[in-house]
Formats: sequence, structure tokens, C-alpha cells
Amino acid sequence: MVSLSHYLILGAVLFAISLAGIFINRKNVIILLMAIELMLLAVNLNFVAFSHYLHDTAGQVFVFFILTVAAAEAAIGLAILVLLFRNRATINVQDIDSLKG
Amino acid sequence: MTVNVADFAYLLPELWVLAMASLLLVVDVFLHDDQRIISFFMALITVLGAAVATTYVDIEQTHIVLSGAFVSDRMAVLLKMFIYISVTAIFIYTRQYLMERNMFKGEFYVLALFGMLGMMVMVSAHSLLSIYLGLELMSLSMYALVALQRDSGIASEAAMKYFVLGALASGLLLYGISLLYGATGTLDLGQLNQRISMGQSTDLVLVLGVVFVVTGIAFKLGAVPFHMWVPDIYHGASTAVTLYISTAPKIAAFAMIMRLLAEGLGPLHPYWQQFIIVLAVLSMFLGNVAAIAQTNIKRMLAYSTIAHVGFFLLGILTGTQEGYSASMFYILVYSIMSLGGFGMIIVLSRAGFEADRLEDFKGLNERSPWFAGVMLVVLISMAGVPPAVGFYAKLSVLQAVVQSGFVWLAVVAVIFSIIGAFYYLRVIKYMYFDKAEDTTPLAAGGDVRALMSANGLAVLLLGVFPGALMALCAAVVAH
Amino acid sequence: MMIPDVIFYIFATALVLASLMVVVVRNPVHAALYLILAFFTSACIWILLEAEFLALTLVLVYVGAVMVLFLFVVMMLDINLAPLREGYVKALPVGLGVAAVMFAELALILGPNRFGLQTTPAPSAHDPGYSNTKELGRILYTQYVYPFEIAAVILLVAIVAAIALTMRARRQTKYVRPEMQVNVKREDRLRIVKVDSERRWR
Repeated sequence: MVSLSHYLILGAVLFAISLAGIFINRKNVIILLMAIELMLLAVNLNFVAFSHYLHDTAGQVFVFFILTVAAAEAAIGLAILVLLFRNRATINVQDIDSLKG
Repeated sequence: MTVNVADFAYLLPELWVLAMASLLLVVDVFLHDDQRIISFFMALITVLGAAVATTYVDIEQTHIVLSGAFVSDRMAVLLKMFIYISVTAIFIYTRQYLMERNMFKGEFYVLALFGMLGMMVMVSAHSLLSIYLGLELMSLSMYALVALQRDSGIASEAAMKYFVLGALASGLLLYGISLLYGATGTLDLGQLNQRISMGQSTDLVLVLGVVFVVTGIAFKLGAVPFHMWVPDIYHGASTAVTLYISTAPKIAAFAMIMRLLAEGLGPLHPYWQQFIIVLAVLSMFLGNVAAIAQTNIKRMLAYSTIAHVGFFLLGILTGTQEGYSASMFYILVYSIMSLGGFGMIIVLSRAGFEADRLEDFKGLNERSPWFAGVMLVVLISMAGVPPAVGFYAKLSVLQAVVQSGFVWLAVVAVIFSIIGAFYYLRVIKYMYFDKAEDTTPLAAGGDVRALMSANGLAVLLLGVFPGALMALCAAVVAH
Repeated sequence: MMIPDVIFYIFATALVLASLMVVVVRNPVHAALYLILAFFTSACIWILLEAEFLALTLVLVYVGAVMVLFLFVVMMLDINLAPLREGYVKALPVGLGVAAVMFAELALILGPNRFGLQTTPAPSAHDPGYSNTKELGRILYTQYVYPFEIAAVILLVAIVAAIALTMRARRQTKYVRPEMQVNVKREDRLRIVKVDSERRWR
């Protein structure tokens, strides 16, 4: 029988993969954005699983809002990406180094 | 369950800002470029009207309305008032600057107002959901503001960095929130606190949740080791936007920490205290040391921000009323000082010229003794030298830290502050003892000059009479 | 094993593989397609968790809108893939190390001894008349009306930001502006110049 722990560990796997993705793809902004979407997916899976096993709809409502915000975030992120590409003609983060932190 | 319409009366300031920002969005479409000043005045009226609306809400009592999503209490009122003051000052400082750079558009004001609305939501949040949504509303507006200078490669680069790290921080914060929700089964901060103190939930899960939440907050605040973005964004964004980012959102971040850590996760204080000690010490160290090596004043002030964030976290980590009120005093004072510091860059800039190198401050005393004096007050206040207000802010945080038994932390903080004083003094040396390289008269308009003078005087006067604001902070936290 | 368990394991495997591919493949178009697969399989898992409305929303909003936007941008920007491959092998061990440590820690805490069936038993199924959509809608417009309004503002900000950042008002086409034509006066077009009469040379 599948327990809450199964879902949480699946969420943890997704979270770890997305974190690895952020490390591996530091050069490619588009895949970086996708890794962040994956991280939000892990969070959403956690919320949905908790909501189911706790018998509480608040978790599902939270997911609803995360989906909304993530869509808005993706729109703004891609708009900035388009702008960056126009100005710099690259999405390679290594080329983007006029700002050295 | 039904909606109690009377609850919306407590949202009067938020509703006003939302309505006016939407109206501004529509009106701006019909304006010609030479009528754009109307947008500017509408934005100012919005902020001032919000201040009036805030006083109309019952400011003495705590009201938790709308199913626990919104709280109106004295802390919210005080912090909102300071957010309004900061945003008003930002609008006045930046008007001419934006005009000269072809950025004087309605979108700037619309996004700035929506960002302010996000801050207000954060300040008045009483559930994890409201905190998250307020934070995102503020952050999304700020990403767009940074990128708004469309033809500047450096600004879009800064915006991209800001966006990626901000989204990552949101992800971490959300993962933490999901664990907190799973362990307690509630999103309401009050209930979260109760259920944690009853200790019915699995302890390690909560600790894990706290780790992620604190990491997310540290990213958003720019505390070391999650600070990489701060200097780049401060440098890359146009000075008008840097001014915005460096002031009002810090107040909102303080509110988020208070709501989340103090109100919601108060019973877990021993756990988050340890993380915050590490963040605070590292931030004070790196901020003060790295600032010395900077040649760009925006980067220097960015590192100084990191150091100030470390200092203000000291008050939070005590977990006492004194600590919280000292931190609140610190962050309010910081926002005023930061307005002065970045405002001065705008005063010295003119069409086609950014006064963002340290050399641009050389010989300021010859060019304008009055502004050199104002900048002097702001700088010694940031360095923490009496009689400016920064001294009292640091002193009250240190007192709270010593009271809760962290004498070593106070010693470390003092040492780093003394190191930090060096780079502020270097700017003062440039202003007073070096020859001006650039002798063009200052181009700032009368309103900017008047506000800058008021800003400097506020730093000085608050330093001479810090009692009133300190008492206010103490009363608000004690409530 | 019961049938829901089998379904869970099938979709969980697909989800993990798809998300691994998202971060490993180099071509952004492939990554986007794998991400779509990941969203789709997690929607199926959400249905197992009786979150039908959200599962449908995930497919409609994410696969239908957000991922299409991603693909749009990837195709619109003419990205040179070769330099993006460099340094990949160098970053791989670090990334995998961080992921492994993170996963080990999370799995230790979220494991079956805390969230197993003994501590959190599977909830009883809803009765047949229960509608997830109706339930969510009911609380969304009452209990959560304030967050709902804020979410609306966030979407407005996204619209304003996306348009402000990317719309270029550069005029591409030439066209006649009638109001200017009508307003034209004689003085605008006709200039009467007095020229001194030339002296005659003989």
C-alpha cells in the first residue's frame, strides 16, 4: 500500500534532481528556468500529498496559488530572457559577466 | 463559511492602492509623453492617500480578518507608514533622473505601486499563503523594474540574475512551507505557533522546514552565503531602481521575518537562532571586508547593505522583545540612510552621466558644501558614529544581544563595524580633501534638493532625539 | 500489490526519469518536451491523490500554456548550442553530489517511520457525490478570497511587465495619418520666397 512517505520521497527525488539541474546547467538559462519549474513541481507534489493524507483542502488551495504565481513568474522570466537575448545575443551565463559579483 | 464584507474595511489602504494603480495604468495609456507628469502626480497621490487610509483603520487594536489571512495591528501600521515614506521619497528623487534617461513612463510607477502593494500584503500577512503571495507580488514587480531599462544590456543581465536567484529562493521557501504545513496541518500563523508549542507534530520535519524557510529568507535578504546577487543587481539596475530595491523592500523583509519566525515559528526559536547567528556573522564579515575593495559606490553600498543585514539579524536572533524592537528601529533607520546614500548618487548624476564611481564624489565639498554635509551625516550614520542615528540603532541592537547573553557576538559585531567604518571614511576623505575632477554644477532640481536636505536632517535629528521612534518600536513589538 | 500501487510505481518511475532528462539533455527543446512529460505524469499521480481539479489545471495551464510559452521562446531565440555544452562534465559531479546529499537527508526525515501508514493512515475515500472542483471553488471564493485577489494582481503585474519589457513600439510600416493631412495649412507646404530681381548683365 502506498503511504504518504512514498509521495514525499518522490517529491524529495524531484527536488534533488532540480537542485542538481541548477548546478549542472548554470550556463543555460532556459534549462535553469525549467529546473526551477521542476522544483515547484516537487513542492506541489508535497502539498497535494499532505493535503490528501491530512484530509485538509488548504494544501490544494496553496497548490492552486503556486500554479498561478509560477505561470506569472514564467511569463516575466521569459520576457527578461528575450530582452537579454536582444541586448547580448546569448543566453550563456558565462558570456554574461559584465557584472562580477 | 461566507465572506464577511465588513472585513474588507480593514483592507482600505490595500484596496486604495490597487484601485489607483489600476487607474494609473489606464490613464497612462491616454497620455502624451509631455503629459507624463500626470502619472507621477497620480502615483504620489496614491501613496499619500494610502497613508491617510491607513490611519482610518483602527490602529490601536489587533484585528485578524478574512479567515486569518490578513492582520491589522500596530506593527503593520508603523511599517506601512515607513514604506509610504520611502516610496514617496523614491518617487520625488527619481523623477528628473527618469526623465533624463527616457524611463519616465507610466509602467515604472505602476510596477512600483504594485510592488508596494506586495510589501503591504507581506506586512499584514497572517498566513503562510499571504506571506508567499505578498512576497511574489513584490519580487515580480522588482524583477520587471530592474529590466525596465530595456536598451541597457547590464540592466537586463542584472534582472536575469535577480530573477533566477529570486525564483530559486521562492522554491526553497516553498519547500520549507510545504513541510511546515505537512507537520502541522495549518497555514495560519497563529495556529502554526499553537500546534508547534503543543508539540504534537514530528519534530525533525519542522526543523527541516525551518532550514528551508530560513535559507529562502536569507536569499531574499541577501545574507551571506546567499548574497551573490546583491552587488550585481545594485550595480546593474539603474540608480532609480536600486534606490527602490534598497529601501522599502527591506522593511517588508523585516515584516516577513517577524511574521514568519517570531509569530509563526516562535516555539522553534532555538533552532532558527543557530542558523541566523551563522548568517549574521558571515554577513557582517563579508559585507564590511568586501566593501573596502570596491571602486563603484553602488557596489560599495551593496556590500554595506549586506553588512547592515547581518547587523539587523543580530537583533532578530535574540528572540526577545528588546531584540525585535531594536531590529525594527535598525531597519527603519537603515531605510532612511539608504534613501540618503542612493539619493545622493541621483543628485550628482545628470543626463548621460552616472555618478556611480567613488571618484565622482571627489571634491564634493567645493562643488556644494551643503550636499557634502548631508552626505557626511548619512555616511557617519551608516558607519555608526554618534551623534547620527546609525549609532543608536547599532547600540540598541548590541544592548539586546548582550542582554540575551551573546557577549561574543556583540564583540564581533563591534569589530566588524570598526572595519566597516574605514570605507565610509574613504568617501568622506574624497569629498573633503580631494580636488574635484568634475566641476559641472549640480543639476538636481529644487524638489530633490529640498528632500535631500530633509533626509540628511532626519538622520541627524533622529540621532539627537532617538527616543520617540525607539519607544514607538518597543510599543509596537510589545503589543 | 494492489492496482493503485502498480499505477503509482509506473508513473513515479516515468516522472523521475523524465525530470532527470530535463536537467541532463543539452537541447532546450528536448528539455521542454521532457518537462511536459514530467508534468503530465505528475498530473496522473495527483489524480491518485484525489486532487482531480489540480491535475487538470496542471495539464491545461502548464502543458497548455506555460510550456508552449517556453517552446515559443526557445524557437524564437536562435540559440547556439555548442558553447552551452562546455563545462557540463565539470559541473556534473558537484551537481550529483549535492543532489545525493540533499536526497539522503530528505529521505531520512521523510521516510516511512514518520510518514508511514502507521502514523498517517490512508484517508477514507470520498463518497461518490463528492466533487473536488466544487469543494475547491467553494473555499476559494469564501475562505481564500483575499489570496485570490492578490493572485489576480500578480497576474496583472505579469501582463504589465511582459508587455512593458518586450513590446517594441518601433514603427515598422509607413502609413498616412489623416488628421495631419486635414490639419495641413498652406503655410506648412508653400513658402513664398522673395528673390531680388537679377541685375541684367550686358
